[in-house]
Amino acid sequence: MIEFVRECYRYRELIWALAMKELRVRYKRSVLGFIWALLNPALLMLVLTLVFGALMRFSVPHYSIFLLSMLLPWTFFSQSLSYSVESIVSNGELLKKVRVARLIFPVAALVSNIINFLLSMIPLFLLVIGLRFPVHWTWIYLPIPMLGLFLFTLGVAFFLATANVFYRDVSHIIQVVLSAWFYFCPIIYSLDFVPARYRWFFRLNPLVYVLNGFRLSIYYGLLPSWQSAVLSLASGVGALALGFAVFRRYEKSFVYYV
Amino acid sequence: MPETEYSVILHDVVQSFRRIKERPDTLREVFARIRHRHKRYEDFEAVKNVSFAISRGEMVGLIGRNGSGKSTLLKIIAGVYSPTSGEVIVNGTIAPLIELGAGFHHELTGRENILLNGLLLGLTKREVREREARIIEFAELGDFIDSPIKQYSSGMYMRLAFSVAIEVEPDILIIDEILGVGDVGFQQKSFERIQQFRDAGKTIVFVSHAMENVRNLCDRALLLHNGRLVQDGTPSDVIARYRELLGQRVAEPARR
Repeated sequence: MIEFVRECYRYRELIWALAMKELRVRYKRSVLGFIWALLNPALLMLVLTLVFGALMRFSVPHYSIFLLSMLLPWTFFSQSLSYSVESIVSNGELLKKVRVARLIFPVAALVSNIINFLLSMIPLFLLVIGLRFPVHWTWIYLPIPMLGLFLFTLGVAFFLATANVFYRDVSHIIQVVLSAWFYFCPIIYSLDFVPARYRWFFRLNPLVYVLNGFRLSIYYGLLPSWQSAVLSLASGVGALALGFAVFRRYEKSFVYYV
Repeated sequence: MPETEYSVILHDVVQSFRRIKERPDTLREVFARIRHRHKRYEDFEAVKNVSFAISRGEMVGLIGRNGSGKSTLLKIIAGVYSPTSGEVIVNGTIAPLIELGAGFHHELTGRENILLNGLLLGLTKREVREREARIIEFAELGDFIDSPIKQYSSGMYMRLAFSVAIEVEPDILIIDEILGVGDVGFQQKSFERIQQFRDAGKTIVFVSHAMENVRNLCDRALLLHNGRLVQDGTPSDVIARYRELLGQRVAEPARR
């Protein structure tokens, strides 16, 4: 773990440059460029608010904010994984030519998605104000669930990027797994709707603890219990330690398989 | 002799690869393989028990036929491969001019690519900025430096890549058959730059099929044949031996 932090610090300039490259390439040649990073989630929010505010009415008040408070971190999670699962394979040519720390690729993929995610929080904040929804003071708690989310995502990303080098099926399987995982997280519904006898199942899902912090502080204006806060950070650190260990174990042979 | 007098030491280095006959890229193939239990790969040694040491400031030419293991050896020295067995000691920073333009991205401008490529080759951002003007000047790109490199001609692309790598100013420069970059004028300039580099007491490992370059530039030559180091000596001796080997190959079909 210390090794991980040290290497990230050592290669910080390179990681940053790669992340910026990814963003720049993503928005290059579009007229609005970087604005899309804001516009995309804003338009999504508009659609969701119209659909759930006017067409479908749920018993949950301000459903769009209820939904988005978890949907945005989820989107970050699933997009980061879709990017980073390919991060080693798509840089294979580079790995064969120069000696370069391999961890920079998954980390840079994550950083570029973090930037996108943080930008997408701006339209959410504006929506909260626009709908006259109370801006809870608990927004300031958000860095904690964010940290948990980023660490957790990176851990899974390290694992997937490694596995994908050896079996390219992983990048296909992960899409299916992600869409199933989406419904097993209480994102579009509340855990209260789930019959009590099934709830233990959701407690096994570490992502639930991580995502829950977002909804509590944005929608409910509550702080999570300290147990749940600790659990969300612990799942982040645990996932990263595990994922990074797997990555370290196999990274030397990447060059022969990409 | 203290080790620091050497830039590169290879001791009994073996590099074997799994040559894949049919590659189990997907899980289905893995299951099929488990059911049928046939071997789909074989190991082959691209570099076999090679040992040598290169002193600081030496310019060494690596020669041999195609597939003799020259490029693999360069990649071992550059740290791209970790050898299957044996020991590699490298003292100092390395810039590989193995395949130019590693990490260039077509949508980015020349300037953006200089930064990215320089960072990949181990410079800090500040060092890249300091060298930027020299790189652009050496590459003769002018206004094109702020255009996306997909608009570059292949000559411009290679000149830029070469300039970045040479301006990294490493302790050890690894050159793989790239003196054919650009037009005659640029080649001349690259040549002079490499000679300056040598005169500054830096170590150079040089792979080429152009024997006159090896003869004129190198202090020493190594001949590789089928992954083995078969001769190590002055360029003229080693080149003579290489010619013999080539002669044999030409003669072979006649004997059959």
